[in-house]
Amino acid sequence: MPTRHLIIGGGTAGMNAMRTIREEEREPSEITLVSAEKPYSRMVLPYYLDRSIAESHVYTATAAHLLKWKVKTHIGRRVTALDVKANACMLDDGTRIEYDDCLIATGSSAARAPVPGADLPGVHSFWTLEEARGVLASVKPGSQVVMVGAGFISFTILNSILSLGAKLTVVELAPRILPRMVDATGAELVEGWLKAHGVTVRTNVKLARIEDVKGRKRLKFSAGPDLTADVVIMATGIRTNLGWLKDSGVDVRQGVVVDAHQRSNVPNVYAAGDVAEGRDLISGQPAVHAIEPTAQEHGRVAGANMAGKDVRHKGSLIVNIVEVCHLDAASFGAWDDGKAEVISGLKKDRNAYRKLLFSGERMTGAIIIGRSNDIWTTNDVGMLKGLVQSGQPLGRFKEHLRRNPFDVKTAFIAAKTASALLPETVLGRPSLAPGDSPVAV
Amino acid sequence: MKVLQLTPERCTGCLRCEIACSYMQTGAYQPAKSVIRVSPFEGHTSYAPYTCPQCAEGWCMTACPVGAITISAVGAKDVLDDLCVGCKLCTIACPYGTMFYDTSTRKAFKCNLCGGDPACAHACPTAAIEYVEGMPADWIGDFAGERVAHVLATTGGR
Repeated sequence: MPTRHLIIGGGTAGMNAMRTIREEEREPSEITLVSAEKPYSRMVLPYYLDRSIAESHVYTATAAHLLKWKVKTHIGRRVTALDVKANACMLDDGTRIEYDDCLIATGSSAARAPVPGADLPGVHSFWTLEEARGVLASVKPGSQVVMVGAGFISFTILNSILSLGAKLTVVELAPRILPRMVDATGAELVEGWLKAHGVTVRTNVKLARIEDVKGRKRLKFSAGPDLTADVVIMATGIRTNLGWLKDSGVDVRQGVVVDAHQRSNVPNVYAAGDVAEGRDLISGQPAVHAIEPTAQEHGRVAGANMAGKDVRHKGSLIVNIVEVCHLDAASFGAWDDGKAEVISGLKKDRNAYRKLLFSGERMTGAIIIGRSNDIWTTNDVGMLKGLVQSGQPLGRFKEHLRRNPFDVKTAFIAAKTASALLPETVLGRPSLAPGDSPVAV
Repeated sequence: MKVLQLTPERCTGCLRCEIACSYMQTGAYQPAKSVIRVSPFEGHTSYAPYTCPQCAEGWCMTACPVGAITISAVGAKDVLDDLCVGCKLCTIACPYGTMFYDTSTRKAFKCNLCGGDPACAHACPTAAIEYVEGMPADWIGDFAGERVAHVLATTGGR
């Protein structure tokens, strides 16, 4: 009898797992997908929001693709319970599905600040396609838009909101913007840039309530003046979708605790992506990384192991990049490690910043900010990632970076970082092209 | 597979590769749009070209959320413009720093080996860039290491 794989969640992790199962398996298996939504990519929603792509472009698999992949689907359904002793799950329509192994990849949902009025009509989240449709339908040229939260999610849609012709105010509880992505110096640089591009930024303000005033929204804060908005977008964080696993016997801390094979404490139950607490590449400690690249790698590693391979994940590296009004800001690894040795450089006139963190000869984290039209910004983004990912000892070339933190490329090349990187693959073999697998049309 | 073999000892820093590359990639003679880049060493007395090694992992390709990066007939990782939305995930996934982003088209671009007839190799007058059968390699690390170390040593660095 063919192996029965159950994939719970049709996001990045689930899709990568299914693709990898089909790439790796020796004998055809049965794959069943349970997904609350039609599979699409959250990464591209900002480009749907600014109307540069059609809605059809966001889907990562159509029904036809899934059929071709021989995936049985339960789309629009949620798993309500997992019975790891019986190797079966229950869906919200009462269907029972038995499996030989299963992958938990249910991702995250947007969380709203718990204030009165947070659920009023006209107050949006931006996380799912449905929520993106809601924002797209609401924002008009000249709309006053207030985004609550100045973190990664806000910043991914900031350009889109501006390009729709809206007037934008960003409010943040923390003393600075992007508190979980860049340090204070970087935040100051980005904030100055935003203000110069017509965005109003208010930090250190606590939202108290949202009131409806004849269809418009009035935001009241614990201190300072009120704001009036046509559209409010709550980008106040995300939470993992794990409630349904309660009492299942699957070990959950911040996420489902997984080993290097993406296996949970239940050997035939795997987890990947936002819901998985795997190994952080730099610290070696368990961590939840709710980012796209981690979901991809987790999904691929889980898929390979479900297909009978023995693939270990080295650990996932925190990487984040946002572009706002043609200014790139990116950070990697342990960029906020207060104990690390730091080499930094700031060129205010060029809006450029580099912060490099070291443990001995190895780079363990980095922050980079620079204009998108400076080619070296984009190239340095990659090379910093390569230095942190490879942990290549910089030796005496660290001294080169101390003299000029902006000349990352010379140190990268001289330390033979490419030699360290070239043999590295996630699955222990060359990657295959996405080819005929579900690609947006 | 054929690869771009780089021999930095032969590079004169003439930048013809950058000019040829930018013309092939974008139709403009504009080194800023080139995906092969020449770096100077030792105070502009020696040079080395650097470009995508077409790595086995294809970090750019596996990172792309919409499958917009594929493997071409000649084995190059290639961006499909119609599918690329410009999210920049590939620029942060590629650990070699060889992804590029065009702010005017809002698309990522990279070395695609010009479909099997690389303009840089044609343009190079000294055969510092050759398109030959081989494996991806770190062609310029040793060359650069020696020169950077020399500069550091002679100017008081360790």
